Amino acid sequence: MRVAHVCGVSLALAIAGSATACSAALAAADISGTYWATSYSPNIQVLGGGEAPLNAAGKAAYEMNQKGLKDGSIADKARRVCVPDGVPRVLATPYPFEIFQVPASQVTFVYEMNHEVRVIVMDKPLPTLDSVIADPRYNGHSVGHWDGDTLVVETVGFFEKTFLDATGLPHSDEMTTVERIRKVGRGLEDIITIHDPDMYTKDWQARFIYDERDDVRLEDYACNDTHRDLSGVKGVEGRR
Amino acid sequence: MMQDLPRMARCLLVGAALLGMVCAALALLVGLGAQAQTTVAAPNLSAPGVAWAGFVAPRQPNYAIARLFNDYANPATGLGPVTDGPAHPYVNNEVAREMKTEPTYRVADLDNAAAKNLMPWVREALAKQNELALRGRNGETREARCWETGVPAFHLNPGLMHIIQTPKEVVLFLTGRTRHIFLDVPHAANPRPSWYGESVGHYEGDTLVVDTIGFNDKTFVDSYRTPHSDKLHVVERVRLIDGGNTLEVAFTVEDPGAFYQPWSGTRNRHRVVNPNAKIAEFGCSEANDDYYNIGLEPVPTAPRSAF
Repeated sequence: MRVAHVCGVSLALAIAGSATACSAALAAADISGTYWATSYSPNIQVLGGGEAPLNAAGKAAYEMNQKGLKDGSIADKARRVCVPDGVPRVLATPYPFEIFQVPASQVTFVYEMNHEVRVIVMDKPLPTLDSVIADPRYNGHSVGHWDGDTLVVETVGFFEKTFLDATGLPHSDEMTTVERIRKVGRGLEDIITIHDPDMYTKDWQARFIYDERDDVRLEDYACNDTHRDLSGVKGVEGRR
Repeated sequence: MMQDLPRMARCLLVGAALLGMVCAALALLVGLGAQAQTTVAAPNLSAPGVAWAGFVAPRQPNYAIARLFNDYANPATGLGPVTDGPAHPYVNNEVAREMKTEPTYRVADLDNAAAKNLMPWVREALAKQNELALRGRNGETREARCWETGVPAFHLNPGLMHIIQTPKEVVLFLTGRTRHIFLDVPHAANPRPSWYGESVGHYEGDTLVVDTIGFNDKTFVDSYRTPHSDKLHVVERVRLIDGGNTLEVAFTVEDPGAFYQPWSGTRNRHRVVNPNAKIAEFGCSEANDDYYNIGLEPVPTAPRSAF
């Protein structure tokens, strides 16, 4: 009798309460899971085609990077000693990665390659460039929020020594990026906008897509090791 | 909002159904006159802003605490890990700071019970390493040279461990190193040998039990550089003690290719709440050369850029 009464009251309260909880839960789409690209390109592919719109300083930096990578005077540390790739180069990874949405205060990208981790702090303001420029990170400082089914990630405070792609495309430490990440069918799409007036004449975008792969577990990664078979990733075959 | 309504309705329906089931179960229990017995919940290891520090400096210098800055503690009973000995006491950086003395490299005691448990090839490897350490060579840990640490040595880092816990997986993050523990699944028949092996886990009451096999033989089980074979098998029991303020990792190591008997150790971590202390990115090899030419092991380096 008493149990029935308590349950009746709590059922009523719970319906009212869960209406709020449910609409809050709806704000976040579920993008958790394991993903793996099916193709790889050493050149970042500019959305809409063409080349990245380098300005004069950008062109000079790119030429210097390309020459240095070729003659060995600049080491590609992300590949030779496996320091983090930085954004957006990490988005081109030919290895799988996993997204977690717990705890709810963050979205965490865990990459197999270079055991890189990106933490997106949810629903916090983007730090100002001035506040983080003396504390640069390979992957910058990222905050995120949900725009419908799309996770919007803003990032600032990058370590200037990384490249935007494997060919040495440059950026400055004042670069900021905005990513729009969403599920598309059984896959994931990440469209990134690069804003870096020090190196580029205008903002530009690149799009990365991945297959969802529930059948894949992330493996260990050490720089001098033999890693997983990448023959399913177009553009890498024969390069390993 | 309109397009959300069906999802909203579904959400509410599921919530009501769940509550209904709880009520029904509760009524059943009361009806049966059963004692209200709470089952022990699995530990919550990954609350927002919570991380687990391997070392918190005591307010007053305390040798016993400083000693465990980067070491296993002995198990309550049974064989423990390799340790230092009276001839060459190990002074870690924390002890050195507190006792105002110089730090040393580690020299393993090759006469105690833990050492007698080592197979001859393991003892020989340690004897060689002791010689190097006494000459001031090669005394850095594997981890300091950016190598993957393996298990149980993963736990030795005194820094912050973050944990992500889902129904399928527990992921441990510690200073740029990541371990995946897959829940409620069996081991593969022949896991490909790897640095952290294949970890499967399950909850036994308040304890996460992690069973790991499938290791390569390239890591050391401790910071004395005690080697192991690919037959290494580690069981870790992870639980919260001390009112949830301490994460206890009690582990047992067996390796019929390296140790005569299994041995055990523990490594406790302290709960730290700091929403700004995120899982850190770590470019270990960014600037990690052998500046002082003291025979440091090279950092892991790929022969070429592969892609």
